[in-house]
Amino acid sequence: MSISINRADFIHTAWRWLARNVTNNSSFSAYFEPLVQMFYTQWRADRFRSNVIDVRRESADMYSLVIKPNKRWQGFEAGQYIELTVEKEGAWVSRFFSISSSPAYFEQSGLIELSIRIQENGQITPWLPQALKAGGVVNISQAAGEFCLERALTPTLMIAGGSGITPFRSMLQQLARRREVVSQPISLLYYARSSEHFLFRNELKTFQQQLPGLVVHFIDTRDVGFFSEAHLLSYCEDFRSRDVYICGPSPMIVHARKVLQGQGVKQEQIHYEFFGPEPVSLDEDREASNVLFQQSGKQVTTDKDQVKTLLALAEEAQIKPVTGCRIGVCHQCICQKKSGVVYNSKTKTYSDTGQEDIQLCVSVPVADVVLEL
Amino acid sequence: MSTATNNARPDSATLDAFAQDLDQIRSTTMEKVGQEDANYIRNVIRVQRISEIGGRVALVLGFLSPIWWVVGVLLLTLAKILDNMEIGHNVMHGQYDWMNDPNINGKRFEWDHAADSDSWRRYHNHEHHTYTNIIGKDRDFGYGLLRLSDDTRWRPKNRWQILTYLNLSILFELGVAYHEVAGERIFMGKRRKTSNLPITRKELRNAFFSKAGRQFFKDYVFFPLLCFPMFLPVLAGNFLANILRNLWTSTVIFCGHFTEDIHTFKMEECENETQGEWYYRQILGSSNFEGSRWLHILSGHLSCQVEHHLFPDVPAHRYPAMAKEVEAVCRKYNIPYNTGSFGQQYLTVVKRVLKYSLPPKQVPIEA
Repeated sequence: MSISINRADFIHTAWRWLARNVTNNSSFSAYFEPLVQMFYTQWRADRFRSNVIDVRRESADMYSLVIKPNKRWQGFEAGQYIELTVEKEGAWVSRFFSISSSPAYFEQSGLIELSIRIQENGQITPWLPQALKAGGVVNISQAAGEFCLERALTPTLMIAGGSGITPFRSMLQQLARRREVVSQPISLLYYARSSEHFLFRNELKTFQQQLPGLVVHFIDTRDVGFFSEAHLLSYCEDFRSRDVYICGPSPMIVHARKVLQGQGVKQEQIHYEFFGPEPVSLDEDREASNVLFQQSGKQVTTDKDQVKTLLALAEEAQIKPVTGCRIGVCHQCICQKKSGVVYNSKTKTYSDTGQEDIQLCVSVPVADVVLEL
Repeated sequence: MSTATNNARPDSATLDAFAQDLDQIRSTTMEKVGQEDANYIRNVIRVQRISEIGGRVALVLGFLSPIWWVVGVLLLTLAKILDNMEIGHNVMHGQYDWMNDPNINGKRFEWDHAADSDSWRRYHNHEHHTYTNIIGKDRDFGYGLLRLSDDTRWRPKNRWQILTYLNLSILFELGVAYHEVAGERIFMGKRRKTSNLPITRKELRNAFFSKAGRQFFKDYVFFPLLCFPMFLPVLAGNFLANILRNLWTSTVIFCGHFTEDIHTFKMEECENETQGEWYYRQILGSSNFEGSRWLHILSGHLSCQVEHHLFPDVPAHRYPAMAKEVEAVCRKYNIPYNTGSFGQQYLTVVKRVLKYSLPPKQVPIEA
């Protein structure tokens, strides 16, 4: 511990204390934010205001946003994700997306790409391309995530499902652009529900020429079905000696992990990333939904026949959130929903799928919900 | 007037239909809420910031001419009024939570006021808005200082309660800060046996001192010292701005709740209320005043106290439009709707304070 760190900490703390005391805001930036936004629309103190350079169609249901991040943004590693925040009808909405381009490309061009699948009934993904076009403004967070290739490349098996290809595209593009000799074998099993859904097809084929160890299998699930033991043995016989990376819809990840572990692949060999929340269909006739209380680590399952508010569910789980009127008036029981859909019985509206504040006492879960509580 | 005859409540079928009409007004309004409302509140915040910064600078320029000092006081007063009324009060009701903006959020907002915002959220958002005008449940009715209906026993101190009211008005900020602490008997009086406080008494006391202390430090130590040669004028200017703000906010709130025809309720009347009965009580417990657009904005749209009590989480600048519809619905069901000019309403407030400062007339008991 050096004295200089303590001094920086001290100055930081003192500065925050002063901001809190003098402006009643959490920071001076928060106090000045509305004024700065007069000149830079959608500017936010805690985000990086960035420009959208291009919106590129990739397929019928996918597009890529080409973004020039703010100069202060600190870059990323292949496989990491960012939180994208945009203003829609006065409300900030945020979604997590993997960066689909490589750090090498970013160093050279100053650009990153996000490849996004349009979710049917989604409120954000179908709207983004029209709202942003070229010249739009978005806010991005610093990059985060542990889903990156090990520094020293080992024999690797990549399993991608649908839009789960994006972090792999970033990793492979990085390897190809660095033009290092990759001596280790890499197999990519890329699953999609029909041949027109394979993204970056030509690019992936080019990578195969540039990276001698790379083999890409485009697997049409309509023809040969979903990932299975048989696929493992026929596409990548020596999978037991490889590091396995999985990215795709949650059920696919759960299934693939089970298959791999059943085949004796060790847990520490398996790396995976859930790619965004599951698409939620409201008219889907599901029997139950799960509510996860993140901080207390408790999970409850609700019955569709017995409608219970989130407040009642929390209290049944022995969690005691702050409450007040219990009729949706006083806003004491506001809690942050991390993901999932709730129905507000007072306003008779469904929530968005992303992160937002909700009132526990009048909200009923309609899909799997994660709460901050 | 006794409360019993006051609250000759319409039958439940009527009140159900009445509730449906009001719900309709709410939902058609909420459908419109969006970019326009976000722009509106951001603009008000901008005006608040500019007046605050401008006001503090102008106070220092007081050495050039006293006119600058006066301008400074007025700008700072404006900033504080906007912060407390149109921004703070409304944001803390959750009216702008849908914006997902961490700085315009009901739970996190802290205002330029001696009262700790968490404390205010408890007794105002919860207690006052849920149990509006129920004697014994809503500590806002008379604030435990004033006798404003025959529901409370007359005491000799009520004789001069008009002076108590004036004092309260001047020191309103501190009264608001002290309200919950007083109700919990933290410093004085017999400790309450049952308390619904979600925090400990110690935490409540600390929050009270910490927030009030912070405000004191800001206006009476930090800024005067920062402008050192102008220490005294800045100190005096800040003091005056706080007092003017107090007088204004107190007057607005009294006009919204303590006009002559405001009704009170008994606990047993309000058990197992339906939505319609709840709406009905909110309407009888609040009153509006009319005026120009700036009067609405400076009062945080509490000029439409009735609509605020019916729909506390609808963005407040939508209230004047809703007021016309609510009044029409009330007329349809023959439910009293209390409104009038600002001056008229204020006069009836004074009348009410004076009227109940005298002991009730002896009513002969009928055999």
